[in-house]
Amino acid sequence: MHVLGTWIRPMTLILAAAPLLRAQDGDMAERLYRSGERAHAARSYAEATETWNQLIAQLPQSPFAARALLSLARHQLEVEHKPDAALPFLEKLKNAYLKTPQAGDALLLLGRLRAERSHSPADIKEALADFNRLVDLFPDHPLVQEARFRMGLARKLQGDWTRALQAFTEAMRMDPDAPAAIAAQLQAAETLDILGDLPGCLRMLQDLRNRHPQAPEAQEALWRIQARAVQRLQKPPLKSQGPWPQGRTKWLKTPTLLATGPEGDVYLYQSDDDRAYHLKDGALVASGPVVKGGKALLVPAPGTTWIVNARSGVVKEEGPQAAAAPLPSPSGGMLDAWGNPWICDPGSPVIQVLAGDAAPRSLQVPAVQALAPLPDGGAAAASDATRTLLFLDAAGRARVTVPYGKDLPASFKYVVSLASDPVGHVAALVDGDFEGVVVWGPDGSVLRSATYKALGIAGKFRAVALDRAGGLILADRSNDLLIRLQ
Amino acid sequence: MMRRLLCLLLTACAALGAQDPSLRDTLASAKALWATQGDRDGAAAKFEAVLAALEPSARTLDEGWTRLLCEAYNWTAVLDDRTAGKKAQAPKRLESLLDLDPDYEIDRTITNPRLQAAFDGLRAARFGRVKLALEPAGGVLTVDGKARRSEAGVHWMTPGPHTAAYARIGYKPREMTFEVALKDARDLDFKLERTSSVITVFTSPAGAELLVDGKSRGFSRGQVPADRSYLADRAGVKPEQLSDGLRIADLAPGKHLLEVRLPCHRTRRLEIAEALTTPFADSDLEPVKLEPSRGTLTVQSAAPGGQLFLSGLDMGRVPARDLQVCAQAYDLQVKYPAGSFTQRIEVAEGASLTVVARPKPRLTYAGFEGNDDFAGRERLLGMLAALGGRLHEVAFFTAAKGESLKDCLARLRSSRETELLLWARPAPGRPVQQVELVLSTLTGQEERLTVMPLEQDPLGSLAVRMDRQASLSEPWAGLTLLDLPEGAHVLQADAAALKAGIKPGRLLTEAAGKPVANVADFRKALAEARGGTLMVAQGEAPVKLAVAQMPTELPVNASGLCYPVVLADLRLRYLGAQGDDAALLRLGQALALMHFREYDKALEVLRDARMVAVQGVSQGTLDYYTGTCLLHMGAAYQREAAQSFNQALKYPQATLFGPDGPLLAPLARQALQDLQP
Repeated sequence: MHVLGTWIRPMTLILAAAPLLRAQDGDMAERLYRSGERAHAARSYAEATETWNQLIAQLPQSPFAARALLSLARHQLEVEHKPDAALPFLEKLKNAYLKTPQAGDALLLLGRLRAERSHSPADIKEALADFNRLVDLFPDHPLVQEARFRMGLARKLQGDWTRALQAFTEAMRMDPDAPAAIAAQLQAAETLDILGDLPGCLRMLQDLRNRHPQAPEAQEALWRIQARAVQRLQKPPLKSQGPWPQGRTKWLKTPTLLATGPEGDVYLYQSDDDRAYHLKDGALVASGPVVKGGKALLVPAPGTTWIVNARSGVVKEEGPQAAAAPLPSPSGGMLDAWGNPWICDPGSPVIQVLAGDAAPRSLQVPAVQALAPLPDGGAAAASDATRTLLFLDAAGRARVTVPYGKDLPASFKYVVSLASDPVGHVAALVDGDFEGVVVWGPDGSVLRSATYKALGIAGKFRAVALDRAGGLILADRSNDLLIRLQ
Repeated sequence: MMRRLLCLLLTACAALGAQDPSLRDTLASAKALWATQGDRDGAAAKFEAVLAALEPSARTLDEGWTRLLCEAYNWTAVLDDRTAGKKAQAPKRLESLLDLDPDYEIDRTITNPRLQAAFDGLRAARFGRVKLALEPAGGVLTVDGKARRSEAGVHWMTPGPHTAAYARIGYKPREMTFEVALKDARDLDFKLERTSSVITVFTSPAGAELLVDGKSRGFSRGQVPADRSYLADRAGVKPEQLSDGLRIADLAPGKHLLEVRLPCHRTRRLEIAEALTTPFADSDLEPVKLEPSRGTLTVQSAAPGGQLFLSGLDMGRVPARDLQVCAQAYDLQVKYPAGSFTQRIEVAEGASLTVVARPKPRLTYAGFEGNDDFAGRERLLGMLAALGGRLHEVAFFTAAKGESLKDCLARLRSSRETELLLWARPAPGRPVQQVELVLSTLTGQEERLTVMPLEQDPLGSLAVRMDRQASLSEPWAGLTLLDLPEGAHVLQADAAALKAGIKPGRLLTEAAGKPVANVADFRKALAEARGGTLMVAQGEAPVKLAVAQMPTELPVNASGLCYPVVLADLRLRYLGAQGDDAALLRLGQALALMHFREYDKALEVLRDARMVAVQGVSQGTLDYYTGTCLLHMGAAYQREAAQSFNQALKYPQATLFGPDGPLLAPLARQALQDLQP
C-alpha cells in the first residue's frame, strides 16, 4: 500500500498528455519498460539498456520514457559505477521530462553526484540548486526529506552553519523515523557544536540515542558524546595506560606517523619499511604505496592511505598527486572537509590546497609545519616560527590564535606532531620547556595537558592521534610501540 | 399518517383476538335483565350487541371468548324460541354454536326440553362421539393440529379420519389416528410414559434467565398464580413481585446446577438435589429471590456538550458523577456535538469506576464509487465495511442502508455528523487491479492511497496508522542525561531539580528504587512514574523530582501517522482545552495543516494560540512557526514574518521539536537575515 496524494499533480500532467499517445503506443511503452526491468533483474544488462534506449528513442512522449531514463541512470551508478555515464540520462530527464515524478529522483541524484564531485564552495552551488529545485517543484516528493538533508550537508561544506542547521531541522521535522531524519539529527547536533552550543549538541545527540537506539547513528552519537564529555566536560588528568593495544611492546618498526581513519581505526606509518598500515583488530594490514620519508599520513576512506613526503607532495596508490608548483619541503598535511589535501612547508609563506583536477590554491598562512583538520572545514596549523597554534577557517583565515604555552605551566617551542578528532579537539606533542602532550578545544582553550615526566613515560614520541573514546595514542619510535593516554 | 397507524393497530388487535372486556359485563347484564326483570327486549338487544361484536372474528377467538360467544348463542336461542316472530331463528343459533364448538354443552337449566332435543339432534346429525381418557391430566391436547380443551370425557368430532395428540412436559407425547362416524362412539386412551423430572422455578423479580448446567432454559415471566401465592410469602415478597413458574424438563437423574441471571442483580447459583430428579417427579423449587447489584460510575470529560449513553440508554450530560448503575458490562458512549467516545466497560458490584471520555473523530465509510466488477471486490468492500472493528481511536460509521455514495457524501458534508469521510474507487486502468481509497476531513484535507484488493490485508497498515494517536508531550523530570561509559551522566538540571538536590556533572545511579546503568534505564523509570513524582539518587540519599509533561511538536510527513485523522482528532481535543494545553493543540493543528501545505489555514490557527511557557516548545515556537507560515504566504507578508521571527527571539530558551530539540534563536536570526533586502 502506498500513499498517492503526493503524485496527484504530476499524475494529472501525465494523464493530460496521455491522449497525445495512441493507446497501443502506451501499451507498447509499458511493455518495453517492463521488458527492460525483467532483463535487468536477470542481470542481462545489455538487453535491459538496449530495451530502455529503444523505448526512449521510439516513444519519447510516453511517461515510461522518463522511467527508462531514470533506470538507465541508476544502472550506470549502481551497477557500472560510472557516475559520468549517468549524468547525461539525468540531465535529459531533468530537461525534457521535468513534469514527471522521475524528474524529482533525477534532481536528487544530480545534486548528490555534484556534491560528491565538488571540491569548493563554487562547485557545490550547482548541487544546492538541484536540491532546491526538487524541494520547490516537487514539495510532496518522497525524496524531499533527503534533499533537505543533503542541502544541509552542502551548506555545511560552504561553512553556512545556520542555513545548514535550518536544512537539517527541516529534514528532521519530516517523518522523524526515516533514515534521512536520523542522519540529519546527527549532523544538526554537530552543527550546533560548531555554532558554539555544546549543551545543545550533546542534548541532540543523546536525544537521537533515546529515540532511535537501533539506528547506526545511535552508535555514532555515542562516541561523539563520550569524546566531548571526556575532553570538554570531565577533563580528567591525562594518565598513561601503557603500551597499546594492551601489553604489546617492540612490535612495530619505527612508527613515525599516526592518523585516525573516518571509521575510527588507527593507521600508522613506519619509517623502517616506508609504508602505512591499518591497525585492524589488533593486526597490521599494509595500506597504500611505499613512500620514503613520510611527513604526514592521510586517510581519505577506510583502508585507503595517502602519504605526504618531502620529495613528491601527496602520494596515492596510483602515484603522486600533481601540483603545478609543489612546495619545496612539505612537512605536514591533512584532508579538508571536501577531501582536498592541504600541504604545509615551514619554509613557505603559504599552505597549498590540492583541489581535484583544478590548479592548487594557496592560502596565505606562512611557516606552518603541521596541520590537522577541523570539523568546520578549516584546520589547526602549528607554526614554530611564530610560536602560535592557528585555528583556520576553510578559507585559511585565522579565527583563533593561540600562543605556544598559553594556559600551560611552561611554554614550548616546537610542535612535534599535531592531530585532531572529528568533533573538533586538537592534540599535539610538544617540545621545549613543556615537553609532553596538550589537548585544545575547538575555541583554542587548553583542555588537558601533561608532561611525559608526569605521565611516567619515556621514549621518542613522534606522532599522536585522538581516538573515539577521548584517548590519545602516542607513537614511540625508539621503543617501537604505541602508548595510550586517557 | 397517524390515522393509518391507528387502523393498522386496530387490525392487529382484532387479529390477535383482543376484545373489549366490557362485553363480559354486557352479557352478564343481558342475562340479569331477562332473568330478574323479565325485560326480554332489553336483554335481546344486549345479546345481539355481544353477537355483533364477536361474530366477525369468531374463528380467531381464544378459548375464553369462544365460550362467551357460545353462551350468547345459547341464551339468544332460548330467547328467540320464546319470541313469536323469532322462533325459527332458534335452531340457527344452535347451529352457529355447534359450528363454533361442538363440545360446548348448552345450559340445560334455561333451555327447554324441545330445544335441548333439537340441539342434541343437530349435534348427533353432524358429529360423532369420541370418548377420551387423558393420563396424567394437565397436558396439551390437539386434534388435527388444533388445540382442544384438555379435558377427559366426550368430545364431538366431524365424521372422517382424525389425528389426536396429547403431550405433557416430562412425558413422552402420544399421537393417534382414528375414524369418526355418525351415531358411532369411539374410546381413545392417552396414557403418557414419564421420561424425566420436571422442576418449576419461581423468581423474584420476573424476567430472569434460567440456566441448567450452563445451558439456557428460558426466562421467568408473568406473576405467580393465586393458588401458589403462598410461595411469595416464603420468598418474603409480594405476590406481584414473584414470577409465574418456569417449568424445566429433560433433567437427567442426578445433581444439576441451576443458575439464575438477571441484569442488575446478583446471579444466584443453586444445586438441584438428586432427590428432585430421581425417581422422576414434578417438584416446585423454593422461590429464587435475586438481590440487586449496583456500582458507581463517574464519567469525566473536558470537552463540553457530551451526552452519555449506557448500552443505548440516555443517562444525561457529562461530566456525570457517582451514577448508581447496575453492576454489569456496558457499551458506554458519549455523543458530543462533534466527535464521539465509545468504550466497553464493566461496572463491578459495590465498586466505583471512573472513565475519562473525550470526543474521538467520527469516520464514515461512504461507499464505493462505480459498479466495476473486479477480483476481490466483495472481499475488499466487506473489509471496508468492517474497518470499525479494527479502530479504537476512531468512531466508525457506514452510509445509511441503500444510500448512494454521492448522497452520503452530500448528506454528511451538509449535516456535519462526521469528521472524516472514507470512500473507495477503482484506480485507473483496466482490468481493475488497484483501488484508490480517499480519506478526507470535512474541510478537505485528504490522503489518497492505493490498495490491491487481493493482497493479504489491504487495510492493515491504514488501520494501524488511523489508530495511532499523535503524542504532543513526553514525561520530563527536569534532567538532561548523557550516556557515558561509566553510566548516566547529569548534563543539566532545571531549577526545580537543582533545588531538589540534583548535582550536574555526576552520575545518576538510581531511579524509582532501581539501578540506572544508562539513560534508557532512566527513561524507562520516567515513563513508568506514577503520581507525578520520581525518586532518583546520585549515589547518596534519594531525592524526589516532580514529573511533568513537556510539550513536543507534531512531526509532519511521518509515515506512521494518518494526517486527516490526526487533524480531526486535534480539533476535537482542542474543544474544552485551556491555557498552554490549548495552545499546544493549536500548534499541532497548524503543523498538521503544514503537512498538507495549507499555510494560510495554519496561520489562522496559530493566530489564536498563546502559551505562558517560555522554555522548550513554547511561545517562541508558536512565533517561529507563525513566521514560517507567513514566509510561505509570499512577499506581501514579509514584514509580518520578520515581526514574528523578532517576536520568537524574545524567547531565547524556546526550542523546536521538544525539550531536547535545538534552540530556535539561531534559526530565527537566520530567517531575519534572509528577509533583509
